[in-house]
Amino acid sequence: MKIETTVRGAPRVIDVEVLDDGTIAVGDGAADRRVRLHRVCGRECWRIVIDDVAIPVRVRATETGADVILGASRVAVKVRRALPIPSRRAAVSDESDRLEVRAPMPGLVVAIPRAVGETVDAGSLVAVVEAMKMHMDVAAPAAGRIEEIRVRPGQEVLGGQVLVAIRVGGQGASKGGGP
Amino acid sequence: MASVRRVLIANRGEIAVRVIRACRDLGLVPIAVYAPSEAGAPHVRLADVALPLPTDEPSAGYLNPRVLVDLARQAGATAIHPGYGFLSENPAFATACEDAGLTFVGPPAAVLARCGDKAAARAAAVASGAPVLPGTPSLERAEAAAQAREIGFPVLIKAAAGGGGKGIHVVRQPADFERAFRLARGEAAAAFGDGRVYLERWLEAPRHIEVQIVADADGGLVHLGERACSLQRRHQKLIEEAPAPAISAGLRARLADAAMRVARELGYRNAGTVEFLVDGDECFFIEVNARLQVEHPVTEAVTGVDLVALQLRVASGEPLPFGQDDVVIRGAAVECRISAEDPHRGFLPSLGVIDGAVDPAGPGIRFDSGVWVGQRVSRHFDPLLAKIIAHAPTRFEAIVRMRRALTECAVSGVDITTPFHRWALDQPDFLAGDYNVRSADAWNDGPSSSDADRVAALIAAAWFAGTASGATLPVDGAPSRWSVEGRAEELR
Repeated sequence: MKIETTVRGAPRVIDVEVLDDGTIAVGDGAADRRVRLHRVCGRECWRIVIDDVAIPVRVRATETGADVILGASRVAVKVRRALPIPSRRAAVSDESDRLEVRAPMPGLVVAIPRAVGETVDAGSLVAVVEAMKMHMDVAAPAAGRIEEIRVRPGQEVLGGQVLVAIRVGGQGASKGGGP
Repeated sequence: MASVRRVLIANRGEIAVRVIRACRDLGLVPIAVYAPSEAGAPHVRLADVALPLPTDEPSAGYLNPRVLVDLARQAGATAIHPGYGFLSENPAFATACEDAGLTFVGPPAAVLARCGDKAAARAAAVASGAPVLPGTPSLERAEAAAQAREIGFPVLIKAAAGGGGKGIHVVRQPADFERAFRLARGEAAAAFGDGRVYLERWLEAPRHIEVQIVADADGGLVHLGERACSLQRRHQKLIEEAPAPAISAGLRARLADAAMRVARELGYRNAGTVEFLVDGDECFFIEVNARLQVEHPVTEAVTGVDLVALQLRVASGEPLPFGQDDVVIRGAAVECRISAEDPHRGFLPSLGVIDGAVDPAGPGIRFDSGVWVGQRVSRHFDPLLAKIIAHAPTRFEAIVRMRRALTECAVSGVDITTPFHRWALDQPDFLAGDYNVRSADAWNDGPSSSDADRVAALIAAAWFAGTASGATLPVDGAPSRWSVEGRAEELR
């Protein structure tokens, strides 16, 4: 998932994925790291292991995120989920075979270059959303057939709002199904 | 120890635990008292008998002589150890104990009374020949300028009837004196209806150094060297060490000599501390703390003397078991006070419930703690939770050990002062031993850096992802819950 953090007014979107082995993959654009987060005691005391270096930290939940105390510093971090895109694993395990593609951030729908019934491949463009003059392409996370379009160009959407729904697999997954 | 067999400890937290341990080492019976909210506290668990106080409110409990004396009688105690704070320096409490046939583990009431009166203590210091800050009685304008020149600049002008900082002026140059003197008199007259002022030498950035003394009832008196306690915030000490770094052998000897003189002049008994301000190679008496001090363990570390056991033995009438020549300082020790305060917001008290704690340990580390999981840190009591003491052959090694201990020490649920300690132990001035009572001001609510910001953002994101997903993150030593669940899913 993508997490938007804000420190001293500076926003930073961080890619976070909790992996099966308990490590957490984090990336802030400048670098990608595997970290482990171990609980030391209570709700607040942790040890974070980054690149084989263990750092004791205290993370105290606040109304808008967390205060992180590491070394001599305390850093107030605003935290929110920015891009709740379902992972491929989530898509496959979805029993209904129906996949909802959501807006990665709050913004304006610029284009939905698809029609209901159309087949798409994994990675095909299904929507374009604009926020703060940035266009973001939204891709189909898996191959399938467009089952439903929930929004139209020009519409304001919230972060995480469903844009289109895809029926996964079977007929729609055939090669050349996309334009 | 005829008179000291069953000891009621009229205190709480880490110091109550400390006294219980000394009782155990001497084969005495420790009796604890506790406020209703403290039933789970370590001092309750470790004592042989634990008696509840009526309320958490200190005035009806830890600060109430009658309640404590009644509990002591009820428990069959023969002595009361007051710890520090609360009633430890209260002459009326010492008298109430003696009247009830209980041995008060501390100086006699008359000595407590003299030490508690600043003017009387200063007079005793002057009479003993110990150096005090140069000052004057209240002055008229005509003589003032000459007196100021005699004391030297900077000089402090204070209202004789004063208090609360009104009418206080620091004058740094002779040229400014006349104007400041007029101003101070005017302010004093307006604020207190009394325009009398007096002068005192002003030290810009003194060091706080104190000498530990112990005296028995037969006139035996020794000092156990000095401690440096200059890192302070709002007159609260944050880090102490023994011996004092970066002072001359001559100054060290003069400090000890002055402390012994003051103790003799006061007819001191039991353990006590004589405090000084040090400016360059000069020292000036400030006051006597007529009790055990929070920072006593650094002296214990470098001398090998158990000060609390010694207090109990001296109180029971035993003579000091060693002489001055037997006191040898070995290595160096540093103490960090772990308090429930927010160092990033002016050291404001941090209240809450402690839901987890990890004690530091290992070579050279002593941890005196009153912390327990489930403890409610309330407004009723002092914020001091615990103390880490690091001892090593050299000062630098002791600091390195302290850094290690600070990374191990963890408390969840309230803010604690360790971020300040970690900062202080990295400051070049501190490492050089060249610091004073103003040095802690440079902390200024803590450092910030773009590196810390960046790492904190990563940590917050990982923490959010880990906890918001509903999964429990792995506990130290236990296999990751995700890997366990992942395997369970594979086997399904």
